[in-house]
Amino acid sequence: MTKKKKIVGIVVAWAAMVTGLHLWLNFDWASFLNDFRPEAERKLNVAYIPVT
Amino acid sequence: MFQGFPEIKEALISNRMQAGFLVAPMAVALRSQGVPIKIIYLGHRYGSAAVVRKDGPIKTAADLKGRTIAIPNRFSDERLMAGLVLRKHGLSEKDVHMVEMAPPDVASALAANAVDMFVMGEPYPSQAEMAGFGRVLFFAKDYWPDYMSCVLVVRQDVIEQRREAVQLLVDGIARSGIWLDEGRPHREYAAEFVGRYYYRQPPALLKWALTKPLDRVMYSPLTPLKKDFDMVNDLMVEAGLIPRKLAFEDYVDGSFAEGAQGLGAWKFNPGDTTAE
Repeated sequence: MTKKKKIVGIVVAWAAMVTGLHLWLNFDWASFLNDFRPEAERKLNVAYIPVT
Repeated sequence: MFQGFPEIKEALISNRMQAGFLVAPMAVALRSQGVPIKIIYLGHRYGSAAVVRKDGPIKTAADLKGRTIAIPNRFSDERLMAGLVLRKHGLSEKDVHMVEMAPPDVASALAANAVDMFVMGEPYPSQAEMAGFGRVLFFAKDYWPDYMSCVLVVRQDVIEQRREAVQLLVDGIARSGIWLDEGRPHREYAAEFVGRYYYRQPPALLKWALTKPLDRVMYSPLTPLKKDFDMVNDLMVEAGLIPRKLAFEDYVDGSFAEGAQGLGAWKFNPGDTTAE
């Protein structure tokens, strides 16, 4: 394997790992999937700001 | 989580949010403009205060002439309360300069002398007190008995089509409120997890806001009452925010609050994994 291919492989693997970790740790799947449920089963979205 | 009330208003209108907590006058004004929402419950009682610089020249509300006052929004209870207090001290809104400011910015604006006072909901009065530069000039309850600020509004189509879900939401808020009002340990625990997982604010700040004193913010009773909203309506008409008083039934649906009557606090102790 050439040096160039090695670097590209490492960069792609790194990007895939960071993307995977982001989707696992930071992405709100429950909220994302909620929008695809039938309306009668959807959880209500309740808006608030951090103040009384 | 949003950073300002106008954004919540837009999210409700566009149906991105089906429910939300808005300052009461904004909810009333939206309804008067024909937006299909209803107020169904309150978020809390009290919880707003006017804060000045500890080392500043303002000792009483009578010293506010010519000063700059920060408020969250012109359609807010805090603005109405500021007007009420000014009038009680022989002044009017024309004697001061009111500026709208996002709640998270007011404490730093006071620290930097950009404003002379702010009237805001917690935890921002607590933030200025904790940091050592702010002094509470007055609490909402000093001038406005049974003061309320944030109210729970729900889109009319959701009220009609998802009654069970809306009732579940109101029941949860009612039970949480009673649980919070059971005493200091519950408030301190709530400050910990709300600070970390919801508000993303230091738990110590929320502990201050919820316990110094314990009735600084109250979470029961939260049923929307006509007498409270009559006062808001009267002050709104006086301030020119709405052309005329609205009928209570036009903007409040009390059926969910009735449904939550008689519920008790959640059975939950700090450390438990579930609440019943």
